[in-house]
Amino acid sequence: MKEQFTPKIVGFLCNWCSYAGADLAGAAKLEIMPSLTVIRVMCSSRIDPNLVLTTLLLGADGILIAGCHPGDCHYDKGNYYARRRFALLKKVIKTLKIDPERLQLSWVSASEGKRYAEVVNQFTEKIKKLGPNPIQTNPYL
Amino acid sequence: MSDRIGVYVCECGPNIADKVDIKKILTEISAFNEPPEKIIIAKKHKLLCSKEGQDFLADEIIKNELTHLVIAACSPRDHDITFMNVCKRTDLNPYLYKLVNIREHCAWIIPDKDEATEKAIQYIRAGISRVTYQDPLIEKELDSIPDVLVIGAGIAGIEASLSLAGENRKVYLVERTSSIGGKVTKFEKILPHQGTNLDIIQEKIKAVQENENIEIFTESEVEKAIGFFGNFEITLKNIHNDEQNNEFKVGAIVAATGFNLFNPEKIPRYGYGKIEDVYTSLEIEESNSKTGKILLKSGKPPKSVALIHCVGREERGYCSRVCCNYMFKIAQYLKEKMPDIKITEFYKDLCLPNKADQEFFVDTKNKGVNFIRFKDIAVKQKDKEKFIEYTKMDGKKEKISAEMIILAPAIEPAEGSKEIAELLNISLDETGFFQEAHQKLNPVATSIDGVFIVGTAQNPKNIPDSMMDAQAVGGKILTQLIPGEKLIPEVIVSEISEAFCTGCQTCLSVCSYGAIYFDEDRNISIVNEAICRGCGNCVASCPSGAAHAKHFTSTQIYQEVLEAIR
Repeated sequence: MKEQFTPKIVGFLCNWCSYAGADLAGAAKLEIMPSLTVIRVMCSSRIDPNLVLTTLLLGADGILIAGCHPGDCHYDKGNYYARRRFALLKKVIKTLKIDPERLQLSWVSASEGKRYAEVVNQFTEKIKKLGPNPIQTNPYL
Repeated sequence: MSDRIGVYVCECGPNIADKVDIKKILTEISAFNEPPEKIIIAKKHKLLCSKEGQDFLADEIIKNELTHLVIAACSPRDHDITFMNVCKRTDLNPYLYKLVNIREHCAWIIPDKDEATEKAIQYIRAGISRVTYQDPLIEKELDSIPDVLVIGAGIAGIEASLSLAGENRKVYLVERTSSIGGKVTKFEKILPHQGTNLDIIQEKIKAVQENENIEIFTESEVEKAIGFFGNFEITLKNIHNDEQNNEFKVGAIVAATGFNLFNPEKIPRYGYGKIEDVYTSLEIEESNSKTGKILLKSGKPPKSVALIHCVGREERGYCSRVCCNYMFKIAQYLKEKMPDIKITEFYKDLCLPNKADQEFFVDTKNKGVNFIRFKDIAVKQKDKEKFIEYTKMDGKKEKISAEMIILAPAIEPAEGSKEIAELLNISLDETGFFQEAHQKLNPVATSIDGVFIVGTAQNPKNIPDSMMDAQAVGGKILTQLIPGEKLIPEVIVSEISEAFCTGCQTCLSVCSYGAIYFDEDRNISIVNEAICRGCGNCVASCPSGAAHAKHFTSTQIYQEVLEAIR
């Protein structure tokens, strides 16, 4: 049963670094597992806690937020805000009895195609091991 | 009228066609009927970005009376603008179109054709769902002002002003002190060829003074700078006269506020301010340039001089880049005046970055200047005699006596840099210098459009590098701020709903651009669309859900999420 589990992962990528990194991974024809669906946003700081919580409550098995490396934000300091919100969200989702490991924040620059592929593949493997989001089987969550 | 959505899949030559089953995609997408009132027209084309492909799209939009357009092709980083321009050729608002990236995100990374096809279908569905929730956005045009404000009339500010001022462009040059020219006017000679300095700088000063398109304000400071690229409202105040204010508008601002020297009194072991005849390099330059002499306080010429480099280097956390060279220069001044003088230069590391530096160093050494690399150093006084006590790199402690000690203090940002940064909404880096937009790719720009930085306000640097900055800024502004041309501000910006805003002002504190202001009367925050860059940070920070990111609304993002987890 667990063998067949194909996770549904949402990847919020900032336009300037991580989305460009994903493009580079594509241009380099790196093999990436298809479980993650990319959603482009202008900056990782656009990802508000509501968006993350709702996506998890709707049943996503994992969420990846990827932005520019600290200090490299296209909008000056957006990624620092993303990092702070992420730290808080990790605590909040624990209270929902969702494993905080289902949420990941990674820095991927526009030149790190290889790193993007590694981040997505490793995160996908991790979510595969965690199994489906319990929200799908527990109606009280 | 029901939505008529055109979905066009690009084969991208073999790039997409070989890796996904386009026929299957078209069949499934044509049947994607949610909500049911949508009409979907799905077709493929061999290369949509080609001229022929663009004509095909424009035809399709008109012929099928499309209300929305979805293109499944490459990355929006490649061709978003291409297809937006196709929309503009027709009556379709370019923000009612969505480019779905099935090349980089499917065809090229998923080797299994069936899996890649499924993923492509998922992405296209997400695109269709999203596009129907997109809003038409209108690009606005704004008048731009070609004039420029230059803050600081040192060599960098002067050169920037000269590069910019012209028939259609006025420059306002603002200087805090009573004269223009800055620190360079204090130097006797300038490197590397030791040319007499005054002629060169005086020529520049004269050129600025005679230029009728440059208005100089001395003993003045910027009090207010509000606005955005192409339109800043500036208020200047006279330092000595509160009532004498000047107001004008400019399109761009150049911060050329220069440097200060680190105060060596902060490190007592150098004896500065306590022991007689311990000077900073600038004090020596000033005295030499004014009187042509370098003398002890007693009025006698010194017989021995110790030059200490790297003062404050560790405390400040960086190498100031120019001190080594000017310390060689001071050694040469002394040798020229007093050939028998004993000179020792103490340094931690030598910094010789420019092509003429090595030769200058060897030349100085050959003139009999002794160089000692130290680990630790202190200036001591016993009776009337002064000593330099130092630890060499091998750990050995030694001392020599010297009648005069000249320190090379670190270069630090000018006083008031922090206030200027706050005023202009730009950032300071961890060393307190102005932060450039990108260290390598965009070194004279800042995070604020239309605000530029030049010279030592950005980093310790020598005169040629400051000149280069000034000329670079000239190039940037002359090409970006063309007289008579309209500005088209970013359309994808934030907006704040009056009904939902509670006036908490959280958004003001997170905005990196100062794009949000608070309307005291209405008790709400308002986005200045001309300044907003559309990052969406205010949207994520708003506790009452009043802030929205145009073209990246929560509803639009949720549509994509729903397809991703379907």
